[in-house]
Amino acid sequence: MTEEIVFKTEADMPYLPMSLGTTLVNKTGSWRYIRPLYVDKTPPCNHDCPAGEDIVGYLALIEEGKYKEGWELIMQENPFPGVCGRVCPHPCESECNRRELGGAIAIHTLERFLADHTASQRPSVQASKRYDAKIAIIGSGPAGLACAYHLALRGYPVTVFEALPVVGGMMRVGIPEYRLPREVLEREIADIEALGVEIETNMRLGDNFKLSDLEDYQAIFIAVGLQKSRKLNVPGEDAEGVIPGLELLKRVNLGEEVQVGPSVAVIGGGNTAVDAARSALRLGSDVREPRSNEVTILYRRSREEMPAIAGEIEEALAEGVKIRYLSAPIELLTENGWVMGLKCVKMELGEPDESGRRRPMPIAGSEYALKADTVIPAIGQEADTSFLETGEQRLIEVRRGHIFIDAAGATTRPGIFAGGDVATPFGTVAHAVGSGKRAALAIDKYLRGEELSGFPPIDEAVHAVPKDMDPAIVRFDDLNPAYFEEIERTEQPQRPIEERVSGFEYFGWAQYGEVNLGFNEEEAQAEAERCFNCGTCNLCDTCLIFCPDVAIARLVAPPYPVPLARLNGAGYEVNYDYCKGCGVCAEECPRYAISIEKEIKWKK
Amino acid sequence: MEKVIMGNHAVSYGAKLARAQVIAAYPITPQTQIVEMLSEFWAEGLLDAKFIKVESEHSAMAACIGASSAGARAFTATSGHGLALMHEMLHWAAGARLPIVMANVNRAMGPGWSIWTEQTDSLAQRDTGWLQFYCESNQEVLDSVIQAFKIAEQVLLPTMLVLDAFVLSHTQEPVDIPDQELVDRYLPPYDARYKLDPGDPHAFGAMVAPPHYMELRYKIQKAMEEAVEVARQADGEFREIFGRSYGLVEKYRLEDAEVVLVASATITSTARVVVDELREEGYKVGLLKVRMFRPFPTKDVREALAGARKVAVIDRNISFGHGGIFAEEIKSALYNGSHRPPIFGFIIGLGGRDVTPASIRGIAEYTFEHDTPEMEIIWREVKNS
Repeated sequence: MTEEIVFKTEADMPYLPMSLGTTLVNKTGSWRYIRPLYVDKTPPCNHDCPAGEDIVGYLALIEEGKYKEGWELIMQENPFPGVCGRVCPHPCESECNRRELGGAIAIHTLERFLADHTASQRPSVQASKRYDAKIAIIGSGPAGLACAYHLALRGYPVTVFEALPVVGGMMRVGIPEYRLPREVLEREIADIEALGVEIETNMRLGDNFKLSDLEDYQAIFIAVGLQKSRKLNVPGEDAEGVIPGLELLKRVNLGEEVQVGPSVAVIGGGNTAVDAARSALRLGSDVREPRSNEVTILYRRSREEMPAIAGEIEEALAEGVKIRYLSAPIELLTENGWVMGLKCVKMELGEPDESGRRRPMPIAGSEYALKADTVIPAIGQEADTSFLETGEQRLIEVRRGHIFIDAAGATTRPGIFAGGDVATPFGTVAHAVGSGKRAALAIDKYLRGEELSGFPPIDEAVHAVPKDMDPAIVRFDDLNPAYFEEIERTEQPQRPIEERVSGFEYFGWAQYGEVNLGFNEEEAQAEAERCFNCGTCNLCDTCLIFCPDVAIARLVAPPYPVPLARLNGAGYEVNYDYCKGCGVCAEECPRYAISIEKEIKWKK
Repeated sequence: MEKVIMGNHAVSYGAKLARAQVIAAYPITPQTQIVEMLSEFWAEGLLDAKFIKVESEHSAMAACIGASSAGARAFTATSGHGLALMHEMLHWAAGARLPIVMANVNRAMGPGWSIWTEQTDSLAQRDTGWLQFYCESNQEVLDSVIQAFKIAEQVLLPTMLVLDAFVLSHTQEPVDIPDQELVDRYLPPYDARYKLDPGDPHAFGAMVAPPHYMELRYKIQKAMEEAVEVARQADGEFREIFGRSYGLVEKYRLEDAEVVLVASATITSTARVVVDELREEGYKVGLLKVRMFRPFPTKDVREALAGARKVAVIDRNISFGHGGIFAEEIKSALYNGSHRPPIFGFIIGLGGRDVTPASIRGIAEYTFEHDTPEMEIIWREVKNS
């Protein structure tokens, strides 16, 4: 600054203030005290999926038009995308950050789209090795079949024992066909069988065989579900015309003839109650005279506490099912051994009980009578663990009606695992899938003689193929809303109500009666494009554009690799020789895929 | 191809033909149509450029500075208050020696709030180091945009071309839109000598201490001086290719003229008609149009006024506390010369008030009737009686 520069000619004089030497010598990275890092974080949908699906991953693949890859990404974790895309209560949507700008992504319907769109294709996954250790699975519901699937994928020979003549457990006999067409379930079961899984039907544990008959098997997974319907415990319950909800659904699903009277009362507020009510509406209907019977649900709490899926309740109401809230039966009125009606009492809600819901209390003097030819109690199911009551089977501990398991799904007896509704309190297909998968991973470890450690608590998902991402959950406040516009959620179309309720068909139902009709490709694309890709780098180049030091370089050129959603730091490179640590990239990143780490640990 | 278009669209066509690569602008009446049409050109695929939407004129110029620093041909347009907001960045563009081209639609400054024409907005930027050209017709506007890039990129100084609000900006005139091929022949792609390049990074715009700062300013003035001849040559080359030219100044019927009217922009067209009428009536009157204001063409002005007995400068602008800005510039240009006629400084038409043939005739008659100006500023048509 003080040195005198004399220019020999005027042409030597610089005309602009510019350094003649390169500025690369000035490694401004030395100024940095924070460092940006590309770290994919967990979107709320992924976190909340009980089956452990990489939802953000397959939404990105739908956007790219890569439907088979999207479907196979689900199949890494869950062999039932077609089932779950229809019957899951989609907890993934409840914390979706898109809620703030036009409604949660219709993840549920997109999952179904992937399954339906690839219906003619088969998964390309195959077991890469073969083990000798045989595994027995008791119950072919979602937990049992998910466990079988994941074990078969790992190369184990698996035999599934099913009590009923049909395969699928509650998916087959507990869910009405208007929600889950049989061919969808059969297609997904066939994919599991294609891996070499043997399924033996009409094999009821306790009746047809005992656990001690399974000595040839090196591990056993018990997933028998909940088979006993809870009793109302009111007088008249054993009269003719009373049929438990699950029993009704099972008989309809097995193709048995079921008759209901012109006045039907369903008791309960869960999915079985709603399914039974809607089935009763269809059973009592005549093609020429739809909704010729009257179906009423009695629920002892209010709509807010009703545990059934909200959309299913809406659909039931739209179809003509009536709901009486804050009502409970105290007696079934009978004549000549046949039910004629109910004596009910009105309820009010008191203090919250141990479930967190307000406890219903009868209002004295509020009794009233209701006419009913058919009464369908659907107040919940219980495990039937009577098969554990003899011999060494007693070593398997039962607590509060459920088989007790640890975080690995292991029972108190080595080599015996349990899952699904008989062991966990969640009651959805997705949870059962997660539970079966957990046991499969644990059985694999057990058979290799490894410690059964490292499993997350039973209410968190496990992953068959771990997705490399930070467990921190991305919330709306972590995103940069400047990049996102409000766009309305797309809803799937539904079959017109008159068509839905005009008679119950046992055959050709999939073509005829499914209520929800799913997305076409255009709707699926539009809906997937609404995804924020929370916590997931999708090569949007915002960091690169904003970096004032030109210190970010893109490593991946379009077309993006598959799956796009899991770049996790492989998309860009920060040149730390020059990155000053200004943090603009992390601040500007629309989706919180960049983290900031302190460069210097300050010492006192 | 001849088209009937408004002045604003003449600017747009000029920028398109000049193949501007980066356009950053903020809308302001009466300039908005310029960038609207450019964005339409872009949308239709007729213009291969980056169009940057910005939140203010200050940012518009900053974006042009960034683009030009990176070696791109940058263009913007503004008016009145928008230009005032750019002021800081105008100094930067010149100091960094960036050949940015800007169209400014003259608009009177508020308050009293106005959208109509007056030259004070652009003349107030005369010391920022920008070349300035004042245009008279839509054809001249289009041609001047193309010439502006040619000149700016040789002397490495930013260039502003100026057109009157509404009188030109929104007035339709037949305009010959030259073939792209010819424009490409006239204006080769901009090849920046130094530019921001991540592959060969240098520091630009660093602090310069007293031992060296003055030399940078000296170089800007040298470039300005050089620009007079560069502009003359660019205008000449333009004539060779397109058959039209405008000169730095235009001398109209100055032979034996005793009174010479000096005007700029659209007032020139009106004055030309009045000169013809007065000539027919026997008055020895002529007209000097000043097209280039910065650098000021002192030599050309001295030559043009060498025979004038009296000079009447018509200013649609005012430097408060002194007078009409063109009048001051003319006085200053003649003072060190050999011929120093009396100079009458008229101020008229501020805030877009019409300057009619009668207004100009009145100015000429006043000048013929008086040997010397009675006052430094002669206000015309002020409603004070």
